[in-house]
Amino acid sequence: MSIFKLLKFDDVDISNLQNVDEMTVVPLLGATRGEVAKPQNLVFSKTSNYGEMVFENQDEDCDAIIPSNLMVRGKDAQDHVMSHIGLLEPQTSRRFPDSCCIEESQGGYLENSEKNEFDILPIELRKCFLTKDFRENRQYDKLWGGILDWLKDLPLKYKGVAHLRYFYDDPVVKTQLETFAAEFEPVEDQIGAVILFSGIPMGIEIMPSPEYWDYYWKLLIRGSYGAELIRLKQLGQIQTFKQSLPRINDHMDLDHMKEQMEDYIVQIQNYVPDVLKKVRIESQLSVSPQIIGESKTLQVEYLKTQDGGGEMITQNQKPIYLSLVL
Amino acid sequence: MKKELSIDSGVLQFVPKGAYYEDAEEQKAAVNLCWKDFLSYDRTLFSLSTLLPGSGYSKGAMSHMLLSNPITNKERSLTVDVLPLDFETQIIKYNLKKESFSRALKNLLMLAGGEGFSRVNNSKTRKLILSFIFERTNQELDNLAVNYKSKLRTLVAHALGKQTLFMILSGHGPTFDKWVGCYNSDCYTVIFHLFNRPTVLLKLENKFPKILQYEKLKNSAKDQDLVKFKSNMDKLPMRTVMGFRNTYKLNIDLSDVYDKSKMSSKETLQMESAVKKSGAKKKEIDYTKYDIYELWKVFYFKVLNNEVDDLDRIMSAIDFVSVRNQTIDIGPATVIFDASRSMEGSVERKFQPFLTSLSILSTLKNVQGVVYVGGKYIKVPVESNDDFKVIIPQNNTYLWKGLLEALKNKPKNIIVISDGYENSVKGMFEHVYDHLKSSDFDFNLIHLNPVFSASASMGSARRITKDTKPLPVSDYKYLETELMMNQMLEQPSVVKKQLIQRFQKLIK
Repeated sequence: MSIFKLLKFDDVDISNLQNVDEMTVVPLLGATRGEVAKPQNLVFSKTSNYGEMVFENQDEDCDAIIPSNLMVRGKDAQDHVMSHIGLLEPQTSRRFPDSCCIEESQGGYLENSEKNEFDILPIELRKCFLTKDFRENRQYDKLWGGILDWLKDLPLKYKGVAHLRYFYDDPVVKTQLETFAAEFEPVEDQIGAVILFSGIPMGIEIMPSPEYWDYYWKLLIRGSYGAELIRLKQLGQIQTFKQSLPRINDHMDLDHMKEQMEDYIVQIQNYVPDVLKKVRIESQLSVSPQIIGESKTLQVEYLKTQDGGGEMITQNQKPIYLSLVL
Repeated sequence: MKKELSIDSGVLQFVPKGAYYEDAEEQKAAVNLCWKDFLSYDRTLFSLSTLLPGSGYSKGAMSHMLLSNPITNKERSLTVDVLPLDFETQIIKYNLKKESFSRALKNLLMLAGGEGFSRVNNSKTRKLILSFIFERTNQELDNLAVNYKSKLRTLVAHALGKQTLFMILSGHGPTFDKWVGCYNSDCYTVIFHLFNRPTVLLKLENKFPKILQYEKLKNSAKDQDLVKFKSNMDKLPMRTVMGFRNTYKLNIDLSDVYDKSKMSSKETLQMESAVKKSGAKKKEIDYTKYDIYELWKVFYFKVLNNEVDDLDRIMSAIDFVSVRNQTIDIGPATVIFDASRSMEGSVERKFQPFLTSLSILSTLKNVQGVVYVGGKYIKVPVESNDDFKVIIPQNNTYLWKGLLEALKNKPKNIIVISDGYENSVKGMFEHVYDHLKSSDFDFNLIHLNPVFSASASMGSARRITKDTKPLPVSDYKYLETELMMNQMLEQPSVVKKQLIQRFQKLIK
């Protein structure tokens, strides 16, 4: 059974894929799935202590969602990342005391500033959070070992300590990340995407509405999946991949040529549902509001797959958000 | 002199604002290198090239470079037969006059250390600044002194130096005559006004009525005399009136300020929504006087904000101005227009690549058809058409489909206006193009890239095929510049001759 059907996302449509070198993004289309706060009404307020991020929901009516592993990087302060998803009721503020510091030797607390940079954590690092113990551990330095491993052997300008921003601020990486953002484009009615590296599925992301996707797509495609792909390429740990293009028959007229190309795109697209059939959900665990925040309308579950996992949110028994790293 | 010319068209297109791929500082560093290389390759060609259409900022920076590196006798001797001795100064003056006054002042302020440039203060720059400001009629000076008081003060102080300025402000006539009076003998008043000296002591009546009105407005603001303030704000610049209103916290409705003060045509367009919100009388706008880029910008601003007023008039103006703008003839061509999402551009300059592409389209003569790639059509409620739709940047980049569609008209030239980022699937355009070229299809492919890249010549502008060099055109006005610069790389001496002819035609 398809993972979409299994998780009751079977009303999501697969659209025309976008492929650039090793990365393929298959847009998922659909209507707004639930009633949640507008993404711009969620505000990062500050870090109130090391390992403690504070967010505010300025929406008057709806609960807000903090996407999985949201990262905030700011000037002259310790950068932080959320250990999981977060929920906030309307017009409330909440501390998340199990957040992580991601800059080993930097002091200072983050403030709400226009200069803050946001991203979602690279997918390999997100996998550290797939166990309950790690997620809920309140040691602010819990990710430093993971960051050091992740940065190891990368040809960066600065290195040696667990500063994730050494990667994002590196001039070469920065240019490559911006290129990712330019190469992949959100399409009309897009609410999510399946992301593949060299034909292997790496993650499925679904947001509650096209507006949400439009707001967060860059943080995912650039900051999370793009960052991971750049790292793997720099380490030579990914097979070079170029989508092979079909031979065009001689003496073909323009209309037939167009037909042939369109058939080819459908053909490579059909590969995606097939390959996703292999993804199995091994466990689904509901999560205490004490960890992720109170909500009267939203329920969160941790999912575990063979090699990965993630989080899913439901509202009125309907799944509205999914973030799975595979 | 350097042996090889490796300039980039960016030298004349640069504005210090981030694009999609590079931030402003990275671009500035790259362009600065280009300017230095170009200057060391051929100083004459460097200065002549500023006669081509380009951004005010680039021309200001290039003039700064010329003025801070005085010409040597050897360099001067190279041009003595064909160009006058002071041709550089003539070009700088000509370019200043062609800019808006505000931009021209900014370019002069670069010499006083503005916009991160080093200060330059030699005899040539002093004369340039003072003559540009004071070699004018009293009426012109009267308006400018009120509109640009603080910028002019900085420039005059820089050009005169502390000692000379002190003597002039102390009333020393011969010093005034030597430095300023030689350009305009009445302008003692203007200097006093700029440096906040009591101008009431001087004769203002007929010569500088605006300055007199400004002084009265300032005094009534200080005295919190709202009646006098209202009567004095009539036809003074909106920014000046607003400044006094806010500084002295005067209880005057915004609608009064908008109704009575004077707005430039650009301000009228930019402030349209604010004026409407304040309840002031709507200012009648003659859209046909605006630049095509400004028109597209205001059109899309209104469309995206569901403002329907004037849309018909703006559309008519776009048609009118487009006809007037059609000056570049590449030959009969079909245009492939990339309207995919990445053409939306950066947050800093939202829609810039898309609006630039639309403006480029309006400068091209001989366009036989336009094929849009990507994009989303949205309905726009205009009076003249119940079912009118416009395209906005959205969706994937199917450039290859555009190519197949365009070829149905069997065009001689195909112009692709795109940032060059293809994702459905990457390389598909080139794959189809290569096949067509090796078959019986005969056409010439031109790629115009509306996203500025400071290092386009180093390959940062995306190619859509290996044998098609992208031409970066970040402003539709620079299309001609881009074509000339491209030719300059291959035939610098031919282009130099053309530019000398241009100099002789433009500057007599």
